[in-house]
Amino acid sequence: MLQFLGHLHPVLVHLPIGILLLACLFLLQSRKDRFAHLQPSINFILLLGMISAIASCITGYILSQTGDYDEGPVNLHQWMGISVTGISIIIYYFRRKVSLQKWQLPLTILLILLIFITGHLGGSLTHGSDYLTQPLADLLNNDSLTTFKRKPIANVQDASVYSDVIAPIFQEKCYVCHGKTKQKGKLRLDDSASILKGGKDGIVIIPNKSVESELIKRITLPREDEHHMAPKEKPQLSDNDITLLKWWIDEGSSFSKKVKQIDQPEKIKTALRMLQNSSEEKKVDLDVPQSPVEKADETAVKTLRDSGVVVIPVAQNSNYLSANFVTANVNAKIISLLLPMKKQLVWLRLNNKPVNDSMLAVISKCTELTKLEINNTNITDKGLNYLKDLKQLRSLNLVGTKITIKGLMQLKDLKNLQSLYLYQTNIGENDWSEIKKLFPKVSIDSGGYDVPLLHDDTVIVKPPPIKT
Amino acid sequence: MNCEEIIAQGLKLAIMTRDELHNQRLLQEANEKAAHFLTRRHFLKESAMGFGALALGSLIGGCHLGASNSYAQTLFDPAHPLAPKLPMFPGKAKSVIYLHMAGAPSQLELFDYKPDLMKLDGQLCPQSLLEGKRFAFIRGVPKMLGPQATFKQHGQSGAWVSDRMPHLSTIVDELSFLKACTTDQFNHAPAQFLVHTGSPRLGRPSLGSWVTYGLGTENQNLPGFVVLTSGGKFPDAGKSVWGSGFLPSVYQGVQCRSEGDPVLFIKDPDGMDRDLRKASIDAINQVNQEEYKEFKDPEILSRISQYEMAYKMQISVPDVMNINDEPQYIHDMYGTQPNKACFANNILLARKLVEKGVRFVQLFDWGWDSHGSDANLAIDIGFINKCRQVDKSITALILDLKQRGLLEDTLVVWGGEFGRTPMQENREGKQNPFKGRDHHTEAFTIWMAGGGIKKGVSYGETDEIGYSAISGKVTPFDIQATILNQLGFDHEKFTYQFQGRPFRLTDVSGSVINDIVA
Repeated sequence: MLQFLGHLHPVLVHLPIGILLLACLFLLQSRKDRFAHLQPSINFILLLGMISAIASCITGYILSQTGDYDEGPVNLHQWMGISVTGISIIIYYFRRKVSLQKWQLPLTILLILLIFITGHLGGSLTHGSDYLTQPLADLLNNDSLTTFKRKPIANVQDASVYSDVIAPIFQEKCYVCHGKTKQKGKLRLDDSASILKGGKDGIVIIPNKSVESELIKRITLPREDEHHMAPKEKPQLSDNDITLLKWWIDEGSSFSKKVKQIDQPEKIKTALRMLQNSSEEKKVDLDVPQSPVEKADETAVKTLRDSGVVVIPVAQNSNYLSANFVTANVNAKIISLLLPMKKQLVWLRLNNKPVNDSMLAVISKCTELTKLEINNTNITDKGLNYLKDLKQLRSLNLVGTKITIKGLMQLKDLKNLQSLYLYQTNIGENDWSEIKKLFPKVSIDSGGYDVPLLHDDTVIVKPPPIKT
Repeated sequence: MNCEEIIAQGLKLAIMTRDELHNQRLLQEANEKAAHFLTRRHFLKESAMGFGALALGSLIGGCHLGASNSYAQTLFDPAHPLAPKLPMFPGKAKSVIYLHMAGAPSQLELFDYKPDLMKLDGQLCPQSLLEGKRFAFIRGVPKMLGPQATFKQHGQSGAWVSDRMPHLSTIVDELSFLKACTTDQFNHAPAQFLVHTGSPRLGRPSLGSWVTYGLGTENQNLPGFVVLTSGGKFPDAGKSVWGSGFLPSVYQGVQCRSEGDPVLFIKDPDGMDRDLRKASIDAINQVNQEEYKEFKDPEILSRISQYEMAYKMQISVPDVMNINDEPQYIHDMYGTQPNKACFANNILLARKLVEKGVRFVQLFDWGWDSHGSDANLAIDIGFINKCRQVDKSITALILDLKQRGLLEDTLVVWGGEFGRTPMQENREGKQNPFKGRDHHTEAFTIWMAGGGIKKGVSYGETDEIGYSAISGKVTPFDIQATILNQLGFDHEKFTYQFQGRPFRLTDVSGSVINDIVA
């Protein structure tokens, strides 16, 4: 019941703020003759404001006892709130004594100031101290300050186990509620003393015993469980994070040791290595350009569609297009219809169609292309020369064409190329090592795989004869 | 009609001439026909404040449905139900080949190497593993059964694969293993439903239906979702496991056969040539058009488009479903068997279909239910034969997709519906005639390859005897979420409005297994 009353506080506080401010406004305005008629209502409004302010103080006090908030700011907020209530009572009292009425104006101004300060303090308590200014800070600084992002560690073995490995996990996933601004469940995780002290239900870390540590228990509960940490709507700890936390506790939860001073099973070594190559960062899909592009001409797209070509954006809210000629006829005229969307076209599928070199000249104008499938077509080395303009190309499928190493040489400057499919081409047996040198960073698939027939493949195992 | 009227009519009839009688009957028939249309439903539909008002209600009344719903509504165009559609974000995979080993293969003889289990071979199972557990067939205290295969690490990634899959072990660096899969269903049918529809009970759309509903298909001459079965038996869950559930029925899997006609009745009957077929379909579609003009029922448009597609498929399906035009070295690579319905033929077909732009190819191969209740289901007899039936062809599929440049946007998934126990099955408390394992929900292995999945990763671990998952535990929902993610869908926002609420494949759980996503 008490808790319920406490939780009423965030609702109730809005009443005195509104009502008392209205009273102050009336007080100030009614000094002019034009608004003198407001005078009689002031006392009533003030009285309402007073009562609601008292109610807010009581519920606020109950809420502060739950211990979910930082003591310092709570105290300040509490005394400010009490002063607001007190001053409103004084104004109410002074209005009845004619001799004291001259104090009304300064007191009113003081009250307005106090209301603003108290309100702001309260808001900072619930939403965090940087809640109000955050959007402004974001405006000035594009890197969001709210979400801390871990940086890859240069050499994880030389790093400190607590401050470089464990603390960043806490900072990224826990500080929001268990840090400087808020201490849900009276737990604070941003310094060694607080971590060892634990929260209102006791200690959270038992050195060498991760299984019994409350912290580990909570983070490994099923996500639907109400005690699961982080709360299910918040960013979750990754498996790697959990593995490392368990390991840190099992190895004595040291705050000073370096990583290399601690035993590392094979699994931990892998987990630690992942910290070096920033695998936690959001993966960027490079098959589609990052920069925005205007919408392709609707009529051009429609003409192409009417010719049986599947032209669709690569995703919702994207203007980049993919085109697939699977059920369309290919001729020079249709290929030229791609030109109006040369800025948007990123994926193009023309396999098993009579594509020739002159069509590649047209296609090479579509400079945003990242994926091009021209396998099983009539193209030759001459056509490949055009493709050197496709600087964004990441995947090129030339399977089943007459191209040779001479043609490929023209493509060696395609810096973004990642995969090259060269099965069933006219590349000579001895050219492969040369091609590997031409494209050192590209995964080259020469195909021609064999799955040899093993003796056992066709043998059928039979049950042993039944003994009689 | 009351008595009086009947008598009056009888008298009238008696004095009619034959012609008049004939006309009278024609009129009566016409009236009856007209009355058929005047059902309550049509009255509601046609009347001014009928269904129009209801439709308006659903337009303005969706107070809690939010933005995700408007997405769901725009996906189904009855006139072009299979037209290609946009994913939510650019997907890495364009197609999926799902290889389901129906009956559930033993992870302990294939990928989950447990030397400690060997030491326990033949000992009684500790009580702690049995308390509070239920098994499909094990009763009382069973004995532990050590791995019935020899394991080795393979490839750069050092993945453990047993000698049961000598071919697959050469390509482990292309695969991502999920070694701590779990489920909560220990019988075949419900477990298969859970894996494919997200619910152990009937009625939900299958994974392939969701995918074709969401993405359509790029080749309008072929179905978007094709199902191929082998092993001599359907999966226990029956055809509903590739059904469309509450999604429009055009999204259900089209079952094709690798022997005889690929689709039943696809050939024109004797005496009907292609022109006549075209003329008759045109006539039917014209009648349907008239029907649509009158009633505006979108299902009629679906029907028209289905007729047209069927006509096109008569040419394109026998063409793509014919593996005889593949060169001999491809046949050798896959180990196909001419003119037989077998897994190897199906898997070669799967590659051909994906190459032609089919969105989702679902294979079921029955015979993996190694209980040890007979020789075919023995872990050291029938199981070996099953492995030999699939090993070479699956390896060939991965390599063939790779050399054709198809693996980068084709997601291949291999797995069963659950795992098998580290204990030897003792059906109803008695020793089985052969070595075998019971159904097991707490640990099994599946693998994925291609379609933007990391290569050479082993994710998740089981305990020393392979009884339960201890890290990297995943559920069927996580696997579904990951498959949808690779195709460009956020599984939490990809919904369909049914029975007053948005439904999704993963229902209320599941999260993408980011550790295996490249």
